[in-house]
Amino acid sequence: MKVELIYAPGCVDCMAAKSALQSAAEAAVGGVEWIELNVLEALDYAVELGVLTLPALAIDGRLVFAALPTPAQLREELLRRADDD
Amino acid sequence: MPPVSASREQAPVLTIGKLAAAGEISPDALRYYESEGLLAPVARTESGYRQYGEEALRRVRFIKHAQACGFTLAEIRDLLQLRQTDSACCNDVRQRAIEKRLQLAAKIRTMQTMSAALDRLIAECADSSQPVDDCPILAALEQVNGDNGKNPAR
Repeated sequence: MKVELIYAPGCVDCMAAKSALQSAAEAAVGGVEWIELNVLEALDYAVELGVLTLPALAIDGRLVFAALPTPAQLREELLRRADDD
Repeated sequence: MPPVSASREQAPVLTIGKLAAAGEISPDALRYYESEGLLAPVARTESGYRQYGEEALRRVRFIKHAQACGFTLAEIRDLLQLRQTDSACCNDVRQRAIEKRLQLAAKIRTMQTMSAALDRLIAECADSSQPVDDCPILAALEQVNGDNGKNPAR
């Protein structure tokens, strides 16, 4: 599963939250591909995803969290998706 | 919400008419800014007329520039409050500018989609001499399934 964190450079909240989210994602399901995208380098892609506020989190190419989830929320979402597969 | 202060301890030098003329804006717009908490007079005369300090003109220009960049008045108030927040830094403003850029890009995409949809409708209506009852543009707009009238399921 591919998890993409879309962030604005210099975002203090993103940096503070990202390691806990990444750990939660990797612990929840196997084979998580964790990607961090600087929105200024991926603006078209962010628009395509429908990102309007930052930071945001996409899973498998779809915007799932328009604001950062808690690690528990992310874990739950990934487990639900793994179960659906 | 109290208006965002234009500056500290300014001498009242401008009437609303003079500020409006200098800022190339209407007096009604200035009153609206006041009601939205963006700009307040520094004083009122005994008769109740608004009086503004020199800083007010900078504030008016700030608001107009920000509107031209697509910011709403509520967002502009947020930007002005950031300027007065000691813990805020340029990154906070930058983040808002980036988000506005994303929102504008999304709007542009939506409008491009609308434009393409109109192009298709215009192309379908090549015979402009048809009676209006047979107009394919009107027929397509009446379709409820959004398929522009192409190959409707029968």
